[in-house]
Amino acid sequence: MKDRTIARYEGVLKVTGQARYEGETSPEGLLHAALVESPVSCGELESLDASWATALRGFPTLVTHDDAASLKPSAATSLIREKAIHFHGQPVALVAAASLSEAREAAKAINVSIAARTALTQMDQALDQAYAPAMVGRFPAATRRGDSTRALGQAELVVRRSYTTAVNNHHPMEPHAVVCWWEGKKAVVHTCTQAIFGTRAIIAHAFEMPPADIRVLARYLGGGFGCKGQLWWPWMFWAMLASRKTDRPVRLELSRAQMFTLVGRRQETTQDLALGFVDGHLTAIEHDVVAQTSTHAEFSDSTAVYTRFLYACPNVTTRHRLVRTNEPQPVPMRAPGTAPGTFALESAMDEAAELLGIDPLELRLNNFADHDQENGRPWSSNSLRECYRVGAERFGWAERRTRSAAKIGRWKIGFGMATTLYPAIRQACRARVALRADGSLLVQCGTQDMGSGTYTALGQIAADALGLPMDKVTVELGDTDLPDGPFSGGSQVTASIFPAVDAATSKLRAVLTSIATSDPASPLGGKPPEDLEFADGMIRSRSGNAGERLTDVLARATSNGLEAEGEIPATDHQKLAATGMGYGAIFVEIGVDPELWEIRVRRVCGAFAAGHILNPLLARSQYIGGLIGGIGMALHEETVTDATTGSILGKSFTDYLIPVHADMPAFDIAMIDENDPHLPGGVKGIGMLGTAGIQAAIANAVNDAIGKRVRKLPIRIEDCL
Amino acid sequence: MPSRLALTCHNRSLTFQCCGDEHQMTQSQDAKFPKQRIALSITVNGTRHELEAAPTATLLDVIRDELKLTGTKKGCDMGGCGACTVLVAGRRIASCLALAASFGDADITTIEGIGTADRLHPLQDAFIRHDALQCGYCTPGQILSAIAVLAEGARSIEEIREGMSGNLCRCGAHANIVAAIAEVAGL
Repeated sequence: MKDRTIARYEGVLKVTGQARYEGETSPEGLLHAALVESPVSCGELESLDASWATALRGFPTLVTHDDAASLKPSAATSLIREKAIHFHGQPVALVAAASLSEAREAAKAINVSIAARTALTQMDQALDQAYAPAMVGRFPAATRRGDSTRALGQAELVVRRSYTTAVNNHHPMEPHAVVCWWEGKKAVVHTCTQAIFGTRAIIAHAFEMPPADIRVLARYLGGGFGCKGQLWWPWMFWAMLASRKTDRPVRLELSRAQMFTLVGRRQETTQDLALGFVDGHLTAIEHDVVAQTSTHAEFSDSTAVYTRFLYACPNVTTRHRLVRTNEPQPVPMRAPGTAPGTFALESAMDEAAELLGIDPLELRLNNFADHDQENGRPWSSNSLRECYRVGAERFGWAERRTRSAAKIGRWKIGFGMATTLYPAIRQACRARVALRADGSLLVQCGTQDMGSGTYTALGQIAADALGLPMDKVTVELGDTDLPDGPFSGGSQVTASIFPAVDAATSKLRAVLTSIATSDPASPLGGKPPEDLEFADGMIRSRSGNAGERLTDVLARATSNGLEAEGEIPATDHQKLAATGMGYGAIFVEIGVDPELWEIRVRRVCGAFAAGHILNPLLARSQYIGGLIGGIGMALHEETVTDATTGSILGKSFTDYLIPVHADMPAFDIAMIDENDPHLPGGVKGIGMLGTAGIQAAIANAVNDAIGKRVRKLPIRIEDCL
Repeated sequence: MPSRLALTCHNRSLTFQCCGDEHQMTQSQDAKFPKQRIALSITVNGTRHELEAAPTATLLDVIRDELKLTGTKKGCDMGGCGACTVLVAGRRIASCLALAASFGDADITTIEGIGTADRLHPLQDAFIRHDALQCGYCTPGQILSAIAVLAEGARSIEEIREGMSGNLCRCGAHANIVAAIAEVAGL
């Protein structure tokens, strides 16, 4: 497989405004929907008075829990079937009308009667009610390796600290939307989703209809980051019910304010961490996490999971607990688990280095885990030490001693570093390729492109396999009429699609090779198949001066073109001989204004090792994007709940700050290519790596600059005073 | 003396005092909405459109929903993200904060009006080459804002960053966006 810098496949459509996002679908007779929201955060919905609203202009139609009673009970339908109020802003009805403004006015005109109960709106009001979930994602919630209590008792140095991270919201620039309609018993659903097939399956379950009668489309997504998933489903169902009730297409678009409450959040955490050292080596780690979940569903990030893997340590105890509050439900968000988890672990490692009087980078190298500490397996590949070396060199880490506490202009300068990691996993995938008589190639796979480059990756893998230029390739994705592809999450799409496309193109190559070599009239007639290569639109003999255009080979057998499908089941990572993990080392330079205490990230160097990189241009963009997300978590982003009402304070971009152009540091990205023999195609995910580690690197740099250790995120001016 | 306007609102009736006179408006149920749509004449990308729209309709909603020019995006509908940026006589505005009815005489440019696949604007071309986009949802606003920032005379990377800071991007394409703009600016 080649690595090539190829411009983003759909770039022209996006820069000219021609890429059609699903909410922009505009069928004839479209109705617009708005949601009626609960003004309290805990209680029971008693009644709705819509007599005023339904008499308004625009002929509003009301859809309520009564309409949802026909849906099959499940976690995806409970909020629209059951009348319990779990959080402030929870929708209690949907109104569809001729225009959006009419729908919104009608929604406001509905009188809602709710029997309110006392709400628990803050995690720290109920830490004593924390409970242990069974699992955190696909990992056990609690683990014990060795005896950490005893090892801590015998350690020469114990670093015992508490760290907290705030609630964050994903905020893709495109708010969630659905445009849906019914064609008889069949449903057509254009919606923002990171999982078209998961969405089709849940519709089939809720409406008790065959999946084949449902078409879900998500051909362009304006970002996702984890929130375009299951929490959207109940509101999408209500829109579908409104369409069925009115026999008209219906569009529901969330407002930016609703993006704070209805589609998930990164949960807040309180993390207690204890590190024990003997002779500079970790002998014990205890990592105890308490996090928020809602009263209607359960989610825990895998926050302490990576503490089990990152360093060599014989005695490790980790535990996750949850507290239920009347706040919106958390879901995975960009670097789930690793972002909050590495903030604690990599801050504590820095604190330990300071107490031990050694360089933080050296401490990490001394504690490098040369195999998977949990199950004893080797790594499929692990270039973390190379990341440390390359990153430190490019950044100029060695200058730390001389430049730290230095000033540039009025800025106090600090250096910090930290490690990031993310497991390499992959899902089942099917893909279809079709070579047409004119030499153009169609690649189809029912996955989505959140902006991460899936269109380009699909096209590039197929084009390279058949030796065709990208301008001959058409890629189709985001439609359940296509072969089943993976959901977009967990940094696994490229690893999932690669072997499936490879399998499909291998079949095409075999057929084309056979046509050419078995036809004496072909210049390649009689050549051994292993002698042939596909390049520049031709099949060529490597040994002799012979070749034939793909289109001519094809014409020898058919005038209709050829197609082939590839299907590769999910990889069972537990059964692999080695553990796949991507790594990175993040180095940052910050400046702190000694009077205003403003923190500016001045430069970031990330050195990443994540298997084989298909397209360095797009990979670099994804790493930088991830790092910027991490800067937001480190310095800007915090969603605050009003303790009294349970409402989210300041539901807008003027209150929820995210990094903007003026916040940008200089980025230097180093990609260390790995030849991984264990993973299909040698591909690891890269999307999450940038968004973890950088939070701790920034906190460590703040300490380096001003001698103040901040153990909470986001780090704000007031934390530096 | 500045004119004074005092408003009291009670039980769907509105009383206001203006220039010493007291006026009262009482809403009937149906009057919760304006009686009719108003005739609107609007020029976008050099084409004049005659249409009807609610007097309260924003320029963004008219562009997207009535003219079906969906390249202009709705990211927040509160003037906080820049995704809806359009040019009015060359100046950039947040079209979600603009009343369509106020732009009858204006010359409006959207992303569809600055270049096409066959004839890309230099900034569109630079955005592709620098990979200055990922999900693409903020991209039209970034490009229109960039056109205006350059017209406003930004002459350094710092000035470009400051000038572009009203255009949010969540994927994190900022570095490549500024590199693309800087290249077109000859910096």
